[in-house]
Amino acid sequence: MSRRPITRRDFLKAAAVAPLAGAALPALSRPSPAAADKVRVVLVRDPSPLGPGGAPPAEVVQRMLDDGVRALLGEKDVVKAWKSLIRPEDIVGIKTNAWRYIPTTAEVEGAIKRRVMDAGVAEDRIGIDDRGVLRNPVFQNATALVNARPMRSHYWAGVGSLIKNYIMFTPQPSDWHGDSCADLAKIWDLPIVKGKTRLNVLVMFTPLFQSVGPHNYAKEYTWEYKGLILSRDPVAADATGLRVIQAKRKAYFGDDRPLPVTPHHIRLADTRHGLGTSDPGRIELVKIGWAEGALI
Amino acid sequence: MCAQAVPPAQRLASLIPAAVGPWLSEAEETYGPESIFEYIDGAGEVYRAYAMRLLAARRFHKDGRPDIVVDVFDMGSSADAYGVFTHDLDGEDAAIGQGSTYKAGLLGFWKDRYFVSVTAEAETPETRAAVLELGREIAAAIPGRGEPPGLVGRLPREGLEAGTVRFFHTAPILNYFFFVADENILLLGPETDAVLAEYGGPGGRSRLLLVSYPQADGAARAAGSFRRAYLRDAAGEEAVRTENGKWTAVRTMGRTVAVVFDAGSAAEAAARLAAVEKRL
Repeated sequence: MSRRPITRRDFLKAAAVAPLAGAALPALSRPSPAAADKVRVVLVRDPSPLGPGGAPPAEVVQRMLDDGVRALLGEKDVVKAWKSLIRPEDIVGIKTNAWRYIPTTAEVEGAIKRRVMDAGVAEDRIGIDDRGVLRNPVFQNATALVNARPMRSHYWAGVGSLIKNYIMFTPQPSDWHGDSCADLAKIWDLPIVKGKTRLNVLVMFTPLFQSVGPHNYAKEYTWEYKGLILSRDPVAADATGLRVIQAKRKAYFGDDRPLPVTPHHIRLADTRHGLGTSDPGRIELVKIGWAEGALI
Repeated sequence: MCAQAVPPAQRLASLIPAAVGPWLSEAEETYGPESIFEYIDGAGEVYRAYAMRLLAARRFHKDGRPDIVVDVFDMGSSADAYGVFTHDLDGEDAAIGQGSTYKAGLLGFWKDRYFVSVTAEAETPETRAAVLELGREIAAAIPGRGEPPGLVGRLPREGLEAGTVRFFHTAPILNYFFFVADENILLLGPETDAVLAEYGGPGGRSRLLLVSYPQADGAARAAGSFRRAYLRDAAGEEAVRTENGKWTAVRTMGRTVAVVFDAGSAAEAAARLAAVEKRL
C-alpha cells in the first residue's frame, strides 16, 4: 500500500513548530550528532570586484578555492590536500555548467584544473564539460569527478545546484523532471558517476534567488555574494546554498516567502536516497574570508 | 509549391521584426515540445504543461548594449496561451496584446493562440523602451484574437482579487501556485482544465479552485480522492476546519469539482461554492 500523501495540511501542522520555508517539509528529526560526526561544508568569500564574466579575478578565485580546500580537508598544504582527493593516474572530469546567464565561470574551471594537474594528472587526462559529457571520452572513462556549478533558483526543481548538475549524465534529462525533480539523487547511482565525485564546488558569485520569464533569469534577482561553497557531500553543500538563497529572499521580499517550487530533491537526496546530509544540524559550516552579508 | 505551404516555424518567426532601434536580430531558432530543453533550462516543463506546439526565438544584439531575446510560443489554443501567461502575473500591465505584464526587463503577453516573451538581459531606460516597442510590433502582427478559457468565466465575481486568476491543467503547476499535496490527489492531467483564483473578504484571503473533467464520473472520483487525502476528518461534512483555523470545502457539480481553501468560516466556503454552482 502506498504512503499517505503529504498535503498542505501537514505543512500547516508543522508551521506551528517551524515556519514554512522553501525546503521545509514535515520533518524528520534525528538525534544531534557529535561535532566529529558532522559533515563539513566550507563557505569562502572574498570582496574583490567581479569581472565582466561574473567571477572575481582568476588569482582571487584560485586563492578562494585553495583556502576552501585546505579548510575542508584540514590540510595546510593545498597540493597535498588535492593529492588526497585525486591520484596521478586518475582520469578527471570537471563537470561544469554552461548556463548562459550564470555559468560556472572559466576562472573556477581553471582554478580546479590547475590543482588537478598539481595533483599529478596529465592535462590530456582532464576534461571540462557540461552538455557534452556523455560524448566526451574523458567523462566516459573518468575515474574521478569534480562537480562545480552555480546556485540558482529553478522553475521546476526549486533550485538548480550540485545534485542537479549531474542530470546531463542522463540521455534524456527531462525524464528526471517528475515531482519537481524529486529523485535527482538517483542519477548519482548511475555507473558513469557512482562513487567518482571527489569534490563539490557550489559557485555563489552571483546567485539567482528568483526565477522569472522563459529563461528563468532577471539580473535584478541576482546579487554579488562572491562566495564558493565546498564539500565532499553534494547534499550538504546544496542544503547550505539553499539557506543562503532563502535568507536572501527573506531580505529582499521582506517576508519568509518560500520558493514557488519546493526544492525537496535536496531533502530527498538525504532521506530517500542516502546521498548525503541535508539537515543543517548535522552540517559543520566553516566560514572563511569576507563576512559582511554572509546571510548564514 | 502551393501558397498555403508556408512552414509553421517560418510563419511563427515572421511575427518577429528584424530590428528594433539600434538592435539587429540574429537568425531565429525554432523548437518543439521535445527540443525545448535545448534552448530553455528551467521553464521548459512549464510550456510543455500547457501543450506548447512551437517556439520561435530570436536574439537582438547591439554592441555595448544588453541583448534582447524574443520568444514567440504557438500554444495551439487561446486557452493555453492565456494559461501560460497566467503562470507569471507579477509586474505592471503594459497594455499589449490581450493581457500583459512588464517587470525587470521582461515583457510577457498573450494574443490569440500565442504567448510572447521579450526579455532584456539587463534593464535600462533604453532596453525598456525597446522591449515594449518589440511587444507592440509583434502584437500588431498577430491578426486574430482569442477567448480566455470558459472555466474562467465561471468564477464568481464577488470578492475576486484582480490579477490572481491562473489557468492550467496539471498537478505540478497547481502546486507551483498553491501547494496542495505531493501526490496528484485531484487527478489532474492534460485532459483537465483548472482555474485557481484568490478572493478577499471579511474572513481574510481564500482561494477557489475549479477543475473541469472530461466526464462526470471522473469528477466524482477526483472529489473522492481529494476528500480521502485532504479532508479525511470531514466525518460527512462538506467543510473542514484545517490546522490554520480556516476552512476547506469541496463540492462536485457535474463534470466540475470546486474546492474552497482557507475560507474564514464554513458558511463562507458554502456561499462561495453556491455562487459557483449558479454560474455553471
